[in-house]
Amino acid sequence: MAEATGRYAPADRTTVAKPRRRARNFDVRHLPGFGAVAIFTFFMLYAPILILVVFSFNAAPSQAQWGGFSLQWYEAAFNNRQVREVSIRSLWLALVASGIATTVATLAALGTTRVRRFPGQTMIYALINQPLMVPEIVTGVALLIFFAAIKVQTGYTGMGYLVAAHTAFCIPFAYLPIRARLETMDITLERAAADLYASPFQAFRHVTLPLLVPGIVAGFMLGFVISLDAVVITEFVKSAGQDTLPTYMLGQLRRNITPEMNAIATLFLALSLCIVTAFFLLTRKRG
Amino acid sequence: MKDTRNSPEIEIAGLSKVFGAGASAFTALSDIDLTIAQGEFFTLLGPSGCGKTTLLRVIAGFEQPSDGSLRINAQEVAGKGPNARPVNTVFQNYALFPHMSVAQNIGFGLKMLGRARSEIDATVDEMLALVQMAHLADRKPAEISGGQQQRVALARALAPRPRVLLLDEPLSALDLKLRKGMQSELKRLQGETGITFVFVTHDQEEALTMSDRIAVMSEGRILQTGTPHEIYHRPRERFVADFIGDTNFLEVEVAEADGAAAQVKLPGGALHSARLPGGLRPGAGARVTVVIRPEQAQLVAPGQGVLAATVEKSVFFGTDTHVHLHLEGGAPFILRRQNTGAMPEPDPGSAVGLALAEGALQVVGD
Repeated sequence: MAEATGRYAPADRTTVAKPRRRARNFDVRHLPGFGAVAIFTFFMLYAPILILVVFSFNAAPSQAQWGGFSLQWYEAAFNNRQVREVSIRSLWLALVASGIATTVATLAALGTTRVRRFPGQTMIYALINQPLMVPEIVTGVALLIFFAAIKVQTGYTGMGYLVAAHTAFCIPFAYLPIRARLETMDITLERAAADLYASPFQAFRHVTLPLLVPGIVAGFMLGFVISLDAVVITEFVKSAGQDTLPTYMLGQLRRNITPEMNAIATLFLALSLCIVTAFFLLTRKRG
Repeated sequence: MKDTRNSPEIEIAGLSKVFGAGASAFTALSDIDLTIAQGEFFTLLGPSGCGKTTLLRVIAGFEQPSDGSLRINAQEVAGKGPNARPVNTVFQNYALFPHMSVAQNIGFGLKMLGRARSEIDATVDEMLALVQMAHLADRKPAEISGGQQQRVALARALAPRPRVLLLDEPLSALDLKLRKGMQSELKRLQGETGITFVFVTHDQEEALTMSDRIAVMSEGRILQTGTPHEIYHRPRERFVADFIGDTNFLEVEVAEADGAAAQVKLPGGALHSARLPGGLRPGAGARVTVVIRPEQAQLVAPGQGVLAATVEKSVFFGTDTHVHLHLEGGAPFILRRQNTGAMPEPDPGSAVGLALAEGALQVVGD
């Protein structure tokens, strides 16, 4: 092939060279520096995480000097009553908050896609997504004042406040993938169900809901991760003894940093990797 | 089977459908009157946007009429949802449930009706056999071909034994060969089940070959209802004649009119009888449009026949040849003749005469 092009190059130049140049034009890979930028981006994304994981196995109590392999920090984390307590609280809170948020978001998504357009629909869309646009610090302060008033009135100081706050900002994260799924779903499927004598509830139960599951799972997982991660709002809303894992870790950082923190972070990293992998396998199977 | 063909299955009276309100209101259907008999293969034919699909959706219950009445088997159903009507639909894109197997798709309607498991299984097997899909019962819709999906959609809609089957351009996504096969398959299924079929298409050939009766629609109205023969040979309006088959239109003057027939003066002065559609009674001297189908004119020697013409070109189509002509006075005219091998093709530029079959002329309204 190369030989042939070489031999016929003068005659072929006009016919062959043109389409080849056109094909190259819009390929981003040929832009100068593209490879370097890509490598830099991946390095910045993953190098810190990699170092965090590596030093969680450090025998020495240092983040900078390697003192040999050891699982002692994992052992320390498991034996730390406080770490166990805040981890369980964080997981429980994330589970409950994203569970409620996903339910509400599913209903909201149905309400904004499966009805005739009504006046103020865009307004409602904006209202649902408000937590995405308002700075967390503003929401945090607002919730602090609002909940303080309720606390004074009722005397209730339980986990309800954290659940309410986390649910509120999980809703848009759960809403977006569910709504996206509903919008791409062929509406004639639901018509077909109704045509085949399904009541509106049966059509939802047998057709819409099963097809919506990947969206709902994605929404739930997004909400779960966001709740697990929330520092600012939790810090403002929590009462005494209601530390979640992130606020606990933040508190620990103010004192001394030991690789115990690395071990906890690594465990949570492993957990989220498991969830994401499970989700991928689940949705791929469903086709 | 008892012959119930003449009792009405669907009765539509004064039905209209308006989308939106105020200045942006759009009338999709206006003042539809239609009766479809039991066991009939009835086709709604028209160009896209004529309202045929809207009418089908009103019958199915996906849209509610703005006005008028709609009775199925003597029961008023306007205002009822699609799940409360003895009607099933074959959708244009099939709308098979992607998460269910072929068998589960077919059994869905009966399951929703709360039938016993054993009855559902028996009917599903029967339907699978009817559309020759038994070997693919456990496949998902994404794992079978378009033609097979079409059969499943048909079986799914037939399984609950509806009184009426609605078909929304079900063949438009298939290639030509599959389409021909499905056309005869549909006719066979209709004959075997005795169910009333209401078929929507924009393909006039499909409508002519399959239907017992056709309603031609345009801009939300039914222009004409009749058998394929009536629609083809006795179009009442210019639109109907133009939409169905190739057509020649001639502007002529009425010499005398008498009841359902008239004598008209052709270009060149010859008189010829023409049929008048019901309701159209032009007086002598009126200008009217007549329709002549391309196969109802014959080439004869110059000076003979009732029309004089000049040959422009001939186009060979295998079984027949289309001869493009210019009539005396300039109007274009297409003539179709079968290639029996008896006659040579006329040379372009040569003068010819045209003879018209008795009853070839049909006056149409505009």
